Amino acid sequence: MTGANEFKLTQGPEDSVSAVKFSPSSAQFLLVSSWDCTVRLFDVSANSMRMKYQHLAPVLDCAFYDPTHAWSGGLDSQLKTHDLNTDQDTIVGTHDAPIRCVEYCPEVNVMVTGSWDMSVRLWDPRTPCNAGTFTQPEKVSRREGRSGSGAGAALICLHAVCGCVSGLHAVCGCVSVRAFPNKQGYVLSSIEGRVAVEYLDPSLEVQKKKYAFKCHRLKENGIEQVFPVNAISFHSVHNTFATGGSDGFVNIWDPFNKKRLCQFHRYPTSVASLAFSTDGSLLAIACSYMQEQGDVSHPADAVFIRQVTDAETKPK
Amino acid sequence: MGRKKKKQMKPWCWYCNRDFDDEKILIQHQKAKHFKCHICHKKLYTGPGLAIHCMQVHKETIDGVPNAIPGRIDIELEIYGMEGIPEKDMEERRRVLEQKTQGRTFKFLFTHLGCVSQKHRMPPMMPGVPPMMPGMPPVMHGMPPGMMPMSRMMPPTHGMPPMMPGMPPGIPPPMGHHPGIPHMAQAPPTIRPAVPATTVPTSQPSVSKPLFPSAGQVQQAGSGVAVSSSAPPSAAPKPTFPAYTQSSATAAANTSSTVAKAGTPVTSKPATLTTTSATSKLIHPDEDISLEELRAQLPCYQCKVPSAGQAHVTSPPVAPMGGVLPPLQGIPAQQPGVRHPMQGPFGAPLQGMPGYVPGGMPPYGQAPPMVPPYQGAPRPAIGMRPPVMSPGGRY
Repeated sequence: MTGANEFKLTQGPEDSVSAVKFSPSSAQFLLVSSWDCTVRLFDVSANSMRMKYQHLAPVLDCAFYDPTHAWSGGLDSQLKTHDLNTDQDTIVGTHDAPIRCVEYCPEVNVMVTGSWDMSVRLWDPRTPCNAGTFTQPEKVSRREGRSGSGAGAALICLHAVCGCVSGLHAVCGCVSVRAFPNKQGYVLSSIEGRVAVEYLDPSLEVQKKKYAFKCHRLKENGIEQVFPVNAISFHSVHNTFATGGSDGFVNIWDPFNKKRLCQFHRYPTSVASLAFSTDGSLLAIACSYMQEQGDVSHPADAVFIRQVTDAETKPK
Repeated sequence: MGRKKKKQMKPWCWYCNRDFDDEKILIQHQKAKHFKCHICHKKLYTGPGLAIHCMQVHKETIDGVPNAIPGRIDIELEIYGMEGIPEKDMEERRRVLEQKTQGRTFKFLFTHLGCVSQKHRMPPMMPGVPPMMPGMPPVMHGMPPGMMPMSRMMPPTHGMPPMMPGMPPGIPPPMGHHPGIPHMAQAPPTIRPAVPATTVPTSQPSVSKPLFPSAGQVQQAGSGVAVSSSAPPSAAPKPTFPAYTQSSATAAANTSSTVAKAGTPVTSKPATLTTTSATSKLIHPDEDISLEELRAQLPCYQCKVPSAGQAHVTSPPVAPMGGVLPPLQGIPAQQPGVRHPMQGPFGAPLQGMPGYVPGGMPPYGQAPPMVPPYQGAPRPAIGMRPPVMSPGGRY
């Protein structure tokens, strides 16, 4: 199943992986958060786990503030930061409900968290402390508030900076959101095999370029199976993005030419999270069954690291 | 251009001017979109066939072919696939294709789309809205620079000159596409569908013409599967991004095929999703909440969630604010105090609460640099954006 350019991480989490993130400075370190309540730091080049810390409950997202600090949050509603040099963690603050998403917003130098309590909070990484809270507007449907708000935390931060109106509230059933590296827009994915590409510039010309497309669907015996698209990650250099779905496939797309560049082999189970390294040379693929079909037996959770080539990720 | 097919051009639908790779797919399309009875959804083989069926079975007359562009709604013309197309229309099509291949740019695509979409209700969208990319106005009025036959979208970095003033006249045909557009939307919004303009084929031929054909031949084999939802506009589940595909309620009347899955309508059925329809199945549990939320409700994870007391250690006593409940509908009998400490008192009224929680750090002034946007950010973010962001008036 894995080829010469791909391997599986050892000492991986013991339950589903919720998120994977590469270090901002190097493709060597990967943070992995999991439903087994841990956040682990892996040295990818040596394929070993360097560090692990605990939360009280399953961790839903993690992010690097800088190469030495990891932030994470989950069902215990606590936002923690862990110093990777000293292996110490600190509880920064809490939400009133599980934290769904943790992101770093470089423009403003804050960490942003989104939670099921329908709020998005900003945190100053230096002190660290809470820097502000936004509540989701009431117009936003509750669904978006829940899954969307968390996922859209980074985006909202972006919007705050750019002062744009977001089309996010038009979306329901949104699973994941990622902004373009060039910050021109963002990509949204949904639970039913659909991805939308939107732009932040509110001018009419740019807004007309928005589009959505179907993906991660399989046709079997005349029935089309539609899978949630769980993960999106951008290649920082080429501005192309990868999506991972519950069908176990990872596709790489070129949003400007609207083409699919590549599809990898099918992974044993749903792709829960994706992360490109900052230099774009590696893609971490977290495969964990996400209970889409209830409690059934499923392949073990795994994180694969794959070396990606320009042929796979560069627009043609 | 794409593979040369019979009649030296790719099969295309006379009723709506869409292009197809294969005549078989074209026929499937016609049956599903143009020859389908709106009453009983039976698929007929031809326009006249449909008319007769409606008359005999439902005692109803139909005055035109559904989802056809104006001028092509003749119910009496017997067209099946590429057969039966009047010669003059064939020639017109060839001419248009030739014009296209000379490489005009599709900038006015956008103006056109702007006009079209206005007629549809797109409340949540931004002004001017959500186009779908499909329309390509037929007329490429000599746009010298750039011909990009391949990409339908000028990459954002190109400085696109503003819409051609000459465009508006060219718009009417596409305008009439309203009925056409929604159904087109079924298939992934390929730029190609629609419009008289015909499509400049993407540079790589692909199995079916989805929006994202494989750019490389290499992965061709795998591509067809995952991306193949284009031609057979099989009853697609109501899309999550209704604005783009325009297959929202207004269009539903036209495109009965979309109705198959109620999907995740924003306004109705908040609690469950329709996950199965005749032709598609959503691999997702029925409850309309995210996978993580569902999973968090499982007993094995519930025990790990800390009790209410701990969760509020650092929150300032601005209780109402914090109580915006996680609107989890499916939590009937969960350990009450555990995750939703504020469940009781906080019902609807919460939504209106703006609430700014300063994060329990009174000396806010000590950390000014970190929140520049609130202060004097280049753009006054606040207030523009719905999320009520009230920086506590400290700035």
